[in-house]
Amino acid sequence: MRCRKIEKLLSNNIDGELPEKKNKILETHLRKCSSCSSYAENIERLHKQAKNLERLEVSPIYWEEFTSRIKTEISYVQQEKRRGPPQFLRRKWVWAGAAWLFVIVVGLFLYLTQNKTPQEVYVFSFENSLAKIYQEIGSDPELEELFNSVILASLGELLGDSGWGECPDFHENLILWENLTEEEMRYLESEIKKDNKL
Amino acid sequence: MNGNMADFADDHLVEQAKQGDVEAFAELVCRFQEKIYHTILSLTRNQQDAYDLAQETFMHAYKSLRNFKQSSTFYTWIYRIAVNLTLNFLKRRKMDEKREVHVEDYSLDVKSAASTLSPERCSLKKELSRKLKEAIDSLPLTYRASFVLVVSQGLTHNQVAKILRCSENTVSWRMHKARKMLQQKLRPYLEGE
Repeated sequence: MRCRKIEKLLSNNIDGELPEKKNKILETHLRKCSSCSSYAENIERLHKQAKNLERLEVSPIYWEEFTSRIKTEISYVQQEKRRGPPQFLRRKWVWAGAAWLFVIVVGLFLYLTQNKTPQEVYVFSFENSLAKIYQEIGSDPELEELFNSVILASLGELLGDSGWGECPDFHENLILWENLTEEEMRYLESEIKKDNKL
Repeated sequence: MNGNMADFADDHLVEQAKQGDVEAFAELVCRFQEKIYHTILSLTRNQQDAYDLAQETFMHAYKSLRNFKQSSTFYTWIYRIAVNLTLNFLKRRKMDEKREVHVEDYSLDVKSAASTLSPERCSLKKELSRKLKEAIDSLPLTYRASFVLVVSQGLTHNQVAKILRCSENTVSWRMHKARKMLQQKLRPYLEGE
């Protein structure tokens, strides 16, 4: 066996942790190896020295004082406990359960309130606003003319090369007429005929 | 609890202490205070620190007594608390020492220098003891804890393994390495004896 392994066996031997089998191997090696025997002597001396390092002698009064201080500390701890919340509230699972219950209640509340069909709230009425605009434009002839010209220009732009400029038969341009009622159509036709002196 | 506390086994006292019997816990303190204090003192080399850490150990044990499942003995459990608190304390102290010059250490150095200057007053054995303490203190913390528990406290490798939560092989290896380091540091003193 190598010396390095023997050194470990020596250490175990000093601590009384070496099995009988290995003890024989150790003894045989030490008889032959002077370096290991010298190492064995050194660590044995160290062990004895370390074991006998002066142990501080402490008087019994010191230990009495030590114990009584522990008792005082314990009484403080118990007083703190009594002042604190009741025993069952000191358990972690109580707080964890309470937290979960709170989360569930809040979640349920939010679920129930969010799922109600929301009532329609009109903030802005498009029809009312449009009627107001028509009224405003109708009361001022200049504005009415400007409005009409803008509408006609935008229609011209929209229809482009569809013959809008040349064709007087507006009824052929569906985009103009598709949403008008029969009555409105007839009225428009008569007005156009009047304009064109037909 | 009736009867003489000293007659009861540790386990019985632990059960009583768990039910709030302060006297039972005080008896456990009486049984282990000296061993715990000396173990901590061997690691810290400072009486005040050892006293404070020993107090902290028992208070920590009292507060977490409900969590002690008694899968190990009270003896192993209390030693584990003490060693862990001490090792944490030493780690913190080591970090603090790096930041500031330690006044106490300086005073120790003055004392040791004085003893070196007057060999007549100091025998070779005393010198070896002093150097041995220094050498033990310079060991890595885990090696030092194993060495102190095995050599100074006389615990077995198995007991130390339970306290330090490692294998017996690890303890055995640490003991071997610690001895080797100490032998290398103290060789001149050992051969001179």
